[in-house]
Amino acid sequence: MEKLKVRQICFYFMAMMPVAKLLVYPAALAFRAKNCLLFSSLLNSLLEGAVVALVMLLAKKTGKPLFVLLEQRAGKLWAKIAYGAFALYFFASALLPLLEQKNFVLQVLYENASTLLSFAPFFLLSFYACTKGASSMGRIADVALPVFALSFPVLILLALPHADFAALLPLSAVPAREIAKGSLFSANWYTDGAFLLFWLGHFEYEKGAAGKVLGAYAAGTFAVLLFLAVFYAVFADIALRQQNAVAQIAKYTTSFTSLGRVDYLFLFALALVMIFRMCIPVQMCVHCLRRTVGCKPLLPSAAVNLLLLALTVFFNYSFLEVQTLFTQKLWSVFALFAYLLPAAAALLALRRRRSP
Amino acid sequence: MNALDRSCKENERRIKDILTSEDILVFRFQTADGKACAAIYADGITDKALLGEQVARPLSSQEAPATAEEAATALRAPECKQVTDPQKAAEEILAGNTAVLIDGIPAALIAGLKKMSTRAIMEPPGSVAVKGPREGFIEDVKTNMSLVRNRLRTPKLQFKMLTAGRQSRTAVAVGYLEGIADEKTVKSILGRIAAIDIDGIPDSSYVAKFLSRRPASLFRSAGTTEKPDVLAARMLEGRVAVLVDGSPIALTLPYLLVEDLQGAQDYFASPLRATLSRVLRFCGVLLSVLLPAFYVAAQLFKLQILPLSFLLTISGNVQGIPLSPGLELFFLLLVLEILVEASVRMPKYVALALSVIGALILGDTAVKAGLVSSSAIIIMAISGIAAYTVPDLVGTTSVLRIVFVVAAGSIGTFGVTLLIALLLYYLTAAGDYGVPLLAPFAPLVGRDLKDSLFKAPLGDLGKRPAVFHTKNETRLGKREK
Repeated sequence: MEKLKVRQICFYFMAMMPVAKLLVYPAALAFRAKNCLLFSSLLNSLLEGAVVALVMLLAKKTGKPLFVLLEQRAGKLWAKIAYGAFALYFFASALLPLLEQKNFVLQVLYENASTLLSFAPFFLLSFYACTKGASSMGRIADVALPVFALSFPVLILLALPHADFAALLPLSAVPAREIAKGSLFSANWYTDGAFLLFWLGHFEYEKGAAGKVLGAYAAGTFAVLLFLAVFYAVFADIALRQQNAVAQIAKYTTSFTSLGRVDYLFLFALALVMIFRMCIPVQMCVHCLRRTVGCKPLLPSAAVNLLLLALTVFFNYSFLEVQTLFTQKLWSVFALFAYLLPAAAALLALRRRRSP
Repeated sequence: MNALDRSCKENERRIKDILTSEDILVFRFQTADGKACAAIYADGITDKALLGEQVARPLSSQEAPATAEEAATALRAPECKQVTDPQKAAEEILAGNTAVLIDGIPAALIAGLKKMSTRAIMEPPGSVAVKGPREGFIEDVKTNMSLVRNRLRTPKLQFKMLTAGRQSRTAVAVGYLEGIADEKTVKSILGRIAAIDIDGIPDSSYVAKFLSRRPASLFRSAGTTEKPDVLAARMLEGRVAVLVDGSPIALTLPYLLVEDLQGAQDYFASPLRATLSRVLRFCGVLLSVLLPAFYVAAQLFKLQILPLSFLLTISGNVQGIPLSPGLELFFLLLVLEILVEASVRMPKYVALALSVIGALILGDTAVKAGLVSSSAIIIMAISGIAAYTVPDLVGTTSVLRIVFVVAAGSIGTFGVTLLIALLLYYLTAAGDYGVPLLAPFAPLVGRDLKDSLFKAPLGDLGKRPAVFHTKNETRLGKREK
């Protein structure tokens, strides 16, 4: 992987992290945590924020990539095993968002009956993205931020006239247990901290970088929370049925009769950022696979994308089943890889570094 | 081949053995003490009057010089050098210089007597300026170099002369400002030009292909200009210039995509006006590439995006059109390309007739016959006109809009979005000489944004663009408040 800039990581957290949580996540959270969905989301963000903080601390102490750190501590074999495990994790964490995105594309971007063929070219793009280095990933974050900054606030503004924020009250309506469940069952939407762990050593730590990245993470979290609040304020009790939330919130604006559905223009812009975001876990999977196998990116890129395409075809009509499996059965695996393992790896590296 | 020897006759024979063409002439004369002299030159590209005045007259009115140095002093030519290799002498003759041979001197004196009939320096038709300098480059590299030197009268302006093309032996001048241009870039450019192995270089675009890391790319990798003021301004920013003999188009490297959005007169207008112009040009490019695709995608897959009244008008228009919107626009864009191609190559007096046939008769009749809708023709026309807001990108935009229409016609809006994403991935990874093509946007270079889509006042452009890795960053001295 080539070099990333701290600025680009910040942009990633500000623009690309939130877009992954704008489709099915709000409805899934509303199902479990109802009007307290903000607490569930905040809990996840705090956990992931802690991982981000730990990784940035590690970046401050050592400028080495995770593979080198693992190699030094546990040997090459264990480093490869860890990378292999994370490759599997990134592969799995790419699947549900892909199916989400596929449904969003087929249901929202087409009025006539569309087929999987319309979505399939995404994998060509993803393959191309996987063959590019981290510098390309960073530059895409540079492009994504202005697109997100232009489109997201407009959609929120268009939705605001129909939002009744009283729907979020009372704050104690849902038991803490359900809020915690809401958090744990949505761990598969929180993979960004783990990405940062693998960007370690691929960016130069500069003065105040940890603050900047954490600030950017906070900004991204704020965008997600704002969206969730507006989403629940618009739909209230029927929120849990509103999949593809981002396409729904602004559709009632009265000016549409004279202007047409202008929100679609901003939705297309957000869809562009979503496409970039969907490529990231696939790119990370290829990166981990490359370090495990030790080969050029072409072959793992082709293999991973073909496999993802095959699974997308296989689960074409089984999104709900996959979602149930990922959120209710495999939540512990996702939580392990998203929060515990990155935190443990960072703590271990920091502790060993302090000891003589 | 052996070096030249002391016999004038023998040297003449050796050179004539290399240059056998009938337009290579020999002018024989004698010095005052009767020693044989010969001037070998190429007919038509050598100034014969100067040959007589600066070479034959001084030599024939005095005794023969004993050494080449003495001979060089005796000649009145301001450009004079000596060569001992007959092959080198032949190359100089072909470049328009004259090889002077004197009995007893084992060398040829090369007198710079080149005389080419060149066109006058005039305003380039492709970059007309409403305000600002109007002179443009011509086909002679020496004249072009003088135009640049006239604007940059500093000893730091360096020109490295190279030759490219096995048969054409075209002169290529690489110009840069020492201490401002990145040395690595200069070295790399010189290396790539030296490595060119091709029979001929008819134009600078040939050299551009060799200077590019991706010669087959749809996006060019070298900037071009026909104006010395623009070239000088770019060199002051840290770019390197490449001038090719026989071409009025100078290349500038490294190239940024955003420089195509910048017009020369932006720097003479108010910053707000310049910013507005640049934003309009950018929107023009976007309209040109995306408007036909979105029209097709909206009609085929996403009708809601259009306002109801507009939708009704369009649906009234397209009723009974036998082609699908994608095919309809695809063929219209093809017709547009054919019209453009034909109008460029057609004599001026036929062009008016062509525009009447193309725009009025063909368009109007096609709509009346129900073959195409009037809304599709409007979309095509807007797209076609918008492309010319940035003439340097017309080739790229015309190909892209066809690809986008195909994507929109087959996959719809998601296809268009995917293609935009692919394009952005490609562009963010593209770049040459360590300078990303999409800078200063991706990667974001905050300082360079001041002169990108946005044009800051001249007083705020105190530093040279950071993206060119220039050593000397300061371009504006401290101002008194």
